[in-house]
Amino acid sequence: MKDSRASRIAAAGAVLACVVVAGAALRQWLAYDPARTLSVSLPGRDGRPADASSAGLATDLSGTFQQFGGVPAGLPGAWPRFRGPDFDNISKQDAPLAAGWDDDGPEVLWSVELGEGHAAPAVLNGRVYVIDYDEAARADAVRCFSLADGAEIWRHSYPVNIKRNHGMSRTIPAVTDDFVVTIGPRCHVVCLDAKTGAFRWGLSLQDEYGTVEPLWYAGQCPLIENGRAILAPCGPDALLVAVDCATGEVAWQTPNPKGWNMSHSSIMPMTFGGVRMYVYCAIGGVAGVAADGMPDAGRILWEAPWDANVVAPSPVALGKGRIFLTAGYGNGSLMLELHESGGAFSAGVVFDRTPKEWLACEQQTPVYVDGLLHAIMPKDAGALRGQFACYDPDGDLVWASGPASRFGLGPFLVADGKFFVLSDDGVLTIIERSRERYIQLGQAQILDGQDAWGPIAVAGSRMLLRDSKRMVCIDAGTSQEERRTR
Amino acid sequence: MTSDPNRFPRRDFIRAAAALGVGGAVWKAAAPAGGATVWQIDPEKCVQCGQCATHCVLNPSAVKCVHSYEICGYCDLCGGYLQPGAKDRDTGAENELCPVSAIKRTYIEDPFFQYTIDEDLCVGCGKCVKGCALFGNGSLYLQVKQDLCVHCNECAIARACPADAFRRIPAEQGYLLKTRRQGGPAQE
Repeated sequence: MKDSRASRIAAAGAVLACVVVAGAALRQWLAYDPARTLSVSLPGRDGRPADASSAGLATDLSGTFQQFGGVPAGLPGAWPRFRGPDFDNISKQDAPLAAGWDDDGPEVLWSVELGEGHAAPAVLNGRVYVIDYDEAARADAVRCFSLADGAEIWRHSYPVNIKRNHGMSRTIPAVTDDFVVTIGPRCHVVCLDAKTGAFRWGLSLQDEYGTVEPLWYAGQCPLIENGRAILAPCGPDALLVAVDCATGEVAWQTPNPKGWNMSHSSIMPMTFGGVRMYVYCAIGGVAGVAADGMPDAGRILWEAPWDANVVAPSPVALGKGRIFLTAGYGNGSLMLELHESGGAFSAGVVFDRTPKEWLACEQQTPVYVDGLLHAIMPKDAGALRGQFACYDPDGDLVWASGPASRFGLGPFLVADGKFFVLSDDGVLTIIERSRERYIQLGQAQILDGQDAWGPIAVAGSRMLLRDSKRMVCIDAGTSQEERRTR
Repeated sequence: MTSDPNRFPRRDFIRAAAALGVGGAVWKAAAPAGGATVWQIDPEKCVQCGQCATHCVLNPSAVKCVHSYEICGYCDLCGGYLQPGAKDRDTGAENELCPVSAIKRTYIEDPFFQYTIDEDLCVGCGKCVKGCALFGNGSLYLQVKQDLCVHCNECAIARACPADAFRRIPAEQGYLLKTRRQGGPAQE
């Protein structure tokens, strides 16, 4: 009897112990947080200060002037702005250019050391204009050289603090007989006398319009029409502005109702429905603005959203209201088509495709010639990455340069009916303008440096190219062939 | 006493052992000096397929992302850190490309940001490496961490690698590090 009671007590104790242990285990299990060691990724943990990008912008743009011994050349040819006289990167100058070179390559006529960057030259009246960055003086420098021998004629400098950030300089001046206008890396605009270099006026787009400086500094190239500088500050209240080159007064200003930001793209004029307009692709969207000289100059005629976060190439007008837009960093390309009805314009999307589906370009603006689009494909274009490719406007690949011929992010243009394509590492390739296939005519190592991304300029038979630190002028004409045949 | 015909005589055994020892010593002396080797990834061949994260016998993988600071551009818009088309350039999870937040982004000075890899979190998926290769300088790349690798010599990742990027290298070398010349300039 006693044993039976003792065993019941022992059993009850064992059950109780089990219950306690099970309860404790259950509590432990319920209390366990498998995510206890994880932290939440929240914005603002990189320590970025609120006003980081606006430091050190205040500067006296009247700056300092230096006169040198260079003399303007009496040579023919002009390349007065980004993408040339007709905004298409096609040289219509009649100087015959070489269709190939021997092992020595073309003659390098002169060479000039520049600050690190990608700013390229404009050429007019025997003068070569470059907005350079003088790292030693810590100053933007608008420099004028002789096309004949590269001797510097004058230089206008103003202090600005720039750190090396994938190069420092990166725009091309716009020049007329009277004025040269530049946009510096930190959005400083300067207008000078094209012949003497005398200071006319200066404008800080960040200070005046609240421009947000683009990543890796400003890449927008200015435009001069009717004696007015056409600029895209993309501030809160000004998408585009026209500034009188003679006086510096603002002639008209386009509002920025969507709050778009400045891109590296440049303003491209085009005409549709009898209306001349400026097409600008900002960060946020693309718009057509009535051009200077139109009765409603500065009015937004149409707009379309595009969410590309970095845009370097400029819009390409294909005719019949079609506009091709492209950007790197995975953004791909967009084909717009304009419609006009009773004076009102609208833009519709024809294609919106990825770099693996269609022509795209990360840094340079495609060339539209012979009814075909040409560009160096971006790094995210799959097997075509880095190849020079030709597409028809409907989206079909016509030809590509092949895996053995890749060009990186280099510039290209059409001159004397041929393509001239410069690779990252300074190799200049001549390509036949073919509708069927890639035909390489000639190739030569022109520059020894790296990052030869500055757009090419052509003046007569002279061709100006640059890498990150040096600009050269080569004789791209047929003199070598003539010497050989003699 | 009768002798077992299957028994190996002691004397013959000693002779065979001595011959084997002498032969081995001669072979070792005559053989070319060859040190130990280990598996490593050739960054020039790697296609960032993601198999390093899933095929290693370890979990997480012994393959980790490493960073060449001399090649990095220290960009605000970093293709290795941010999702393509990220809404904002900040440390919000919705903008991060790394699935395990193994890359830390730190403001240095305008306009530069530094990116460091938290090796304990990295799973070797290579997403950041692909982003850096497409939109940046290629400063991020994958390597087998020799202090983590179990050196089983039957590397499961090497068998799965579609780009033949795994190869044996001398153990004293250990790594195939990118230099500025291979990876491009420090400032793109």
